[in-house]
Amino acid sequence: MNLQEFLTIFISAVFVYNVILSRFLGLCSFIAISKETKPALAMSSAVMFVIVMSSAITWFVYRFLLLPFNLGYLRTISFILVIATFVQLVEMVIRKLSPQLYRAFGIYLPLITVNCAVLGVAVLNIDMFFINGKPAAGSFYYSVFQGVCVGLGYTLAMLLMSGIRERLELCNVPKPIKDFPLAFIIASILSLSFMGFSGFSR
Amino acid sequence: MKNLIKEFTKGIIKENPTFVLALGLCPTLAVSVSVTNAIGMGIAATFVLLGSSLIISLIRDFIPEKIRIPCYIVIIATFVTIAEMCMKAYSPQLDRSLGIYVPLIVVNCIVLGRAEAFACKNNLARSFFDGLGMGVGFTLALILISAIREFLGSGQILGQALVKGFEPIFVFGMPSGALLVIGLLLGLFNLLKGKKEGTG
Amino acid sequence: MINNLIVSGSPHIHKQTSISRIMWTVVISLVPAGIAGVIIFGFDALWVTLVAVAGAVLTELILGIWAKKKITVLDGSAVITGILLAFNLPSGVPLWLPIVGAVFSIAIGKQVFGGLGQNIFNPALVGRVFLMASWPKYMTTFAQPLRAGAGYDAITSATPLAILKEGKVLEHISYLNLFLGKHGGCIGEVCILALLIGAAILLIKGYISWHIPVTYIFTTAVLAYIFGAAQIFHGDWLFHILSGGLILGAFFMATDYVATPLTAKGQLIFGLGCGLLTAVIRIWGGYPEGVSYAILMMNAATPFIDRYTKNRIYGAR
Repeated sequence: MNLQEFLTIFISAVFVYNVILSRFLGLCSFIAISKETKPALAMSSAVMFVIVMSSAITWFVYRFLLLPFNLGYLRTISFILVIATFVQLVEMVIRKLSPQLYRAFGIYLPLITVNCAVLGVAVLNIDMFFINGKPAAGSFYYSVFQGVCVGLGYTLAMLLMSGIRERLELCNVPKPIKDFPLAFIIASILSLSFMGFSGFSR
Repeated sequence: MKNLIKEFTKGIIKENPTFVLALGLCPTLAVSVSVTNAIGMGIAATFVLLGSSLIISLIRDFIPEKIRIPCYIVIIATFVTIAEMCMKAYSPQLDRSLGIYVPLIVVNCIVLGRAEAFACKNNLARSFFDGLGMGVGFTLALILISAIREFLGSGQILGQALVKGFEPIFVFGMPSGALLVIGLLLGLFNLLKGKKEGTG
Repeated sequence: MINNLIVSGSPHIHKQTSISRIMWTVVISLVPAGIAGVIIFGFDALWVTLVAVAGAVLTELILGIWAKKKITVLDGSAVITGILLAFNLPSGVPLWLPIVGAVFSIAIGKQVFGGLGQNIFNPALVGRVFLMASWPKYMTTFAQPLRAGAGYDAITSATPLAILKEGKVLEHISYLNLFLGKHGGCIGEVCILALLIGAAILLIKGYISWHIPVTYIFTTAVLAYIFGAAQIFHGDWLFHILSGGLILGAFFMATDYVATPLTAKGQLIFGLGCGLLTAVIRIWGGYPEGVSYAILMMNAATPFIDRYTKNRIYGAR
């Protein structure tokens, strides 16, 4: 477990292989919710929280439940169940503790269950940090850290996009391109710019 | 019977999941680098869509309202796992190219969306044709996008070079190009739709 | 009176000068660098520039006619985009390349957002990174400077930054040579002298302010000094200032009215961010040069910077 690996994960997950702009995970929510900054920020923080927690939980499930019993192929089913349950739990807790916060999140919370990014990162962690059915050294920490970085990358893309789209509300964009097509084109340019970080060594 | 045919065809153009409903975009963009991948993903997704639509429609009267979403997810996940295992067994190369996007069919908005919006409310026959139509529409959209991207990005389609001396435009093989293609396609379809409504 | 109230995004310039006058002055300020490019790289440089300008102007014209909008090609902004795009290309590129780039710059980098005054990103840079991603081979093949005769032949030379990135020793490129542009590179980026003349024109006329260029260059230099060499605090900061597209970018592209913050404080942040990103990419990234990417990323952040550096209105919280 070394610092270099953490740095690589950070640069990778946030910039070079940005979860939205490069891996396309979480694209649906990205296009739909990045129109304004407030909801974008709310969604990003919720997503980050869920990603980090589910990264941790799914790691344990894989390591101590699936692997020992040779049930690796049940990964998809068990992971999505974990995520769905966790989101449901979070929803119930927030509802109890702070009805105000619950109302603020609205429908975003249940939507996170189907956010490709959450399941995607869980699967990615397994693919990247388990070699031949055994966890690599420091696998758990790398997995959770990757979850954090993916959340950060998601937030970064959301914030940039929402700032831009809010600004564009004042401009006369050609009609056929308004909303979705323009969002994709902006994302395309953002993706091009982020390519500047590729090939990071050291 | 006519109604059933309509359920099928609506998924191809009028309610095309990719271009009209804007669902399932994550795998669409990721997988559309080559037509081969597109077809593979399309078939897998259609299989899952068909299977889950059928089962959910069959047991729709027995699923309690409160836990219906987790139930759908389990059913869908089962079909995805079957698809995953078949793919690993019969075409490992495709499995490797599609990577994490195969398990991600579970959270493909199209599949869950159709379950929630249609299969739980309609009978077996209609759900079958709806699922089939959506799956075919999705596959066709995938093929369209990937044909454009593969041709522009590497001068080939299905691995066959088409035009001699064509300088490939690499960006189309990259995520940025994917986003660009779908943005421009959506804009084009909007333009055509606007024209049709204007003159109709 | 009501009809005269316009709601629009930035910029809100309250000067006597019209947009056209500013744009054409910028074109003039770019001429010294263009002449230097032709002297150093031959007539290839001229053709590339002319073709890029033609492409940009035609695209804007055609799109304007098709969309039934006002014809704006005479305001000079398309010409600037064409010139800046060309200045970011090697002189030896096949002539269809700047055309494609120009079309992309205007269509996707500018018109898609609603035209002049509304683009989020610098159009020329959008075109440039598109070209870079699409045809990397053409975009990184640089002709030898000061050769006799024109034409795309087999003699190529690498840019100083590329040599540095590969870890090879720089063979005595003197600072004077860097300053005058006697080395491989893109058409408009190499001759620092010519660029500074143009920049001086714009600064004196007040069309650009010092905030962004100075902060940008200063930040890059400081980071290059600290981290640019194997040993800390041994970096060759002067080399970094004089190489690559930093001067061209800092004075002519990072100062784009529309795509950069409005307030002085915002501009300082913008310059700082550009400098930081450029240095990071140059020192640790895979590409030898990071100016284009840095500016585009900061363009994307500009709406945010504007939000948090807006001037307080008296009486409001």
